[in-house]
Amino acid sequence: MNPILSFVVILIGIYGLAVSTNIIKSVFCVTIIEAGLILLFLNLGQYEGGLIPIMEALGIEIVDPIPQALMITTIVIGSTITSLALMISIKIFHITGSIEWKDFLKRK
Amino acid sequence: MIYAPVLFVFIPIIIAIAVFLIKSPKAHYLVFLSQAALIVLFVLYALFLSANPDQNIIVFGGWDARFAISFYNDWLSLVFIGLTIFMWTVILLYTFKINYAQKKLFFFLMFLEGVFLGLIQTNDLFNMFVFLELTTVLVTILIVYRKGGEAFKAGLQYMLLNTVAAMFFLIGIILLYYVYGTINIRVIASEIALYSDYNIVKFAYVLMITGLCVKAALFPLFTWLPRAHGVAQASISALLSGLIVKAALYIFLRVNFDMFSNAYSMSEMFFWLGAISALVGVVIAMSQKDLKQILAYHTVSQVGIIMMGLAATGPIETLFTNPAAFGGLLHAVNHAVFKSLLFLAAGSIIRVYQTKKVYEIRGVFKTMPWTAIVLIVAMLSITGAPFFNGFISKSLIKYGFKQDALKMIVFTIVNLGTMISFVKFSQILFGPKQKLIVDRQYKQHFAMSLLAIASLVIGLAYYPIFKSLFALTWGGALYLDYLIYIEYIGYMALAVLIFHFVVKRDYLPFRLLRGSPISFLTANSIFVFSMIVIGLFVFL
Amino acid sequence: MPLTKYILIILLGLVLAMFIVSFADYQEIYNNISRLFYETNGFLDTGSRNIVTAIYLDYRLFDSLFEAGILLVAVSGINWISQHGAEQENAHFMLDKFKTPELFITFSRLVYPIMLLFGIYIVLNGHNSPGGGFQGGAVIASALLILFYIDLKKSTNMRVIMTIEKWLFVSLVSISAISLLTRGVLFTNFIPLDADADLKSIYLIALNIIIGAKVALGLTAVFIAFLKEGR
Repeated sequence: MNPILSFVVILIGIYGLAVSTNIIKSVFCVTIIEAGLILLFLNLGQYEGGLIPIMEALGIEIVDPIPQALMITTIVIGSTITSLALMISIKIFHITGSIEWKDFLKRK
Repeated sequence: MIYAPVLFVFIPIIIAIAVFLIKSPKAHYLVFLSQAALIVLFVLYALFLSANPDQNIIVFGGWDARFAISFYNDWLSLVFIGLTIFMWTVILLYTFKINYAQKKLFFFLMFLEGVFLGLIQTNDLFNMFVFLELTTVLVTILIVYRKGGEAFKAGLQYMLLNTVAAMFFLIGIILLYYVYGTINIRVIASEIALYSDYNIVKFAYVLMITGLCVKAALFPLFTWLPRAHGVAQASISALLSGLIVKAALYIFLRVNFDMFSNAYSMSEMFFWLGAISALVGVVIAMSQKDLKQILAYHTVSQVGIIMMGLAATGPIETLFTNPAAFGGLLHAVNHAVFKSLLFLAAGSIIRVYQTKKVYEIRGVFKTMPWTAIVLIVAMLSITGAPFFNGFISKSLIKYGFKQDALKMIVFTIVNLGTMISFVKFSQILFGPKQKLIVDRQYKQHFAMSLLAIASLVIGLAYYPIFKSLFALTWGGALYLDYLIYIEYIGYMALAVLIFHFVVKRDYLPFRLLRGSPISFLTANSIFVFSMIVIGLFVFL
Repeated sequence: MPLTKYILIILLGLVLAMFIVSFADYQEIYNNISRLFYETNGFLDTGSRNIVTAIYLDYRLFDSLFEAGILLVAVSGINWISQHGAEQENAHFMLDKFKTPELFITFSRLVYPIMLLFGIYIVLNGHNSPGGGFQGGAVIASALLILFYIDLKKSTNMRVIMTIEKWLFVSLVSISAISLLTRGVLFTNFIPLDADADLKSIYLIALNIIIGAKVALGLTAVFIAFLKEGR
């Protein structure tokens, strides 16, 4: 059940990307997709009775540590992309005075 | 020598940091030192690899290959590495200046080179995702480097679409990890048949292919490419069209044909995807009035042609035995050479003429003769004239499907469309000499001439090159056949006629095509829709 | 138009259906081999009780190098983008009218040293308890940002921060490459494989400190770039 809910979060993010008219909302929809992705990966690896991957004694049964390590990298990458996108949005506002997508479509 | 792949990645990165940290602008000469080191290393490594072909995997940390990151090199990645180093040398020659403003540009450019070389050699799926995101961030910074309003809008759209595509690629990687227990491409390639019938593996395949189609700018997900390539400065556009798009095709080859071993037989679908994007690209390119937009839409169409060739690949070894597949790979290399030459020449012309419209620029041949000559070379290459490199790759792709009449018709229409839009492009050459200030930039001429010479060399001396490098023996007597010359001149005459009577009058359909871009919101809906279409093809 | 929204929702529902269909047989093909490998060999190979730290500092160190690299590139890029060009019409800076409330300043004086200490604890003990360089670096960055909330016009030198970050990246790559000389393989712990776990944790603590410093500086620099808005 949990992985399906995480996938629903990802799909909500995609829906938001396709209907948001505001730039800042689009950037945050990308953040939502990334959050859903992290939840999906971690949820697929959980199971009953697995302990956290800290070996307090040898021979205990731990959960898979690879998803957690990969998701550390993904979180850093996601925050980097969000900050860069927000800085570009601020610059767009300073130059053109509007943060709506539909003001960008006028082609010369 | 066995650690040369790691040096490929880290030499540009360390030089990038050094250029940034050293205060004096004379430190910019360091970039040429790094390029020279890379060229020497590349030649030595290629010789080493052909002498011992089983030492092409480096596992970092010495752990079991299933659980650690590794680098893997074969002939396919060597071709791309060679192309990368050559293109970067040319671009650095073109944009070399000794002033403080270039310091940051060189930092980002050289870092991008190191990251790109890492992307081509890596054998680990998650490492590939990290490199892919790094490429996206760096290319966005380079697109918005000349901070204008258009540049920021195009850069933001590029970044958001590509990030979403890479995240869907990551979901595919996640699902594969949970089924196979590893994310090493070589290990999955050997074990793929165990679980490839399960729905979850099929779903992972759908997600990965959709993400790659966005990054490779195939129909219908190519809307980010013309904007991004049109607003960047000339050398960055050349780099984008020439190499960054090819990275997505390289990953497509590795994922589809190497890892999945074409388990779902989607070759026909990929061929038609390439064909449709080639057609759509040329038709829209014919209607554009902006110099760089014509070239950008052409990139979409040429990538479609490359996909038409590559769709016939089987396992990776058949890239060098199947003529259509090798034609696709060769067209990728050729397209990097002549498309970047076109962009660099267009950049010089726009800088002198201060305008971007095709109908306002006249008299390039008399005002800037050297630029005009290399521009003619590039235009002859892209339209497939004999003696130039475009002809070789297009003949190889045509040879691959000479039994199928429908495919030949589609290919011929695409070629005709290319010729028509370049007749339109070549209008800038004619006319009287303009009274403009032409500053002679010798290093730019040198850089462009390097590309033109490469184009001619591949076109004329292709037979001995391919025989010695790849042991291929096709088409030894291709230039002795009189039909090819008559065919080319005939098509060119037809193209000139169609241009004068149809395109120049600027009928209503062209005006509609020019003025209706697809918005960012629609692009996302199209993304979901194409995911479902590809999913239907895979699951049924 | 509501019609396109409904079509979009139907399409997304189809994608969800694809996922549910393929997820039905997940339980029977979940592959255990990776988990068992890290469970049996993780502590003995690397000397750290926290297997996640063992993975991103020893088995997959190459990924962490480029994760540090993406922070470096993003900081330089954001710094470059935020500098003013000549054509900024609507640039009114919100923060000129903002004054931090007195209550916030008083609480920050209490909270700031505790946050800093907590962040340093997470970084230093990354190999024995949950935490590590990246996580602790983010906490230290949050602690440093409180200083900026208290005094919005605090002067900083971006050039010094970016120079330190680049030197930290170079030192990170160099320490990873030392293992070529001592163990003969690249990008792993430079202490030999059969040494004691306490000895191996020297490498882990050193790398965690460098990564923590780098992440803290990077995130602080990003925030400063947003605050200054190019001035």
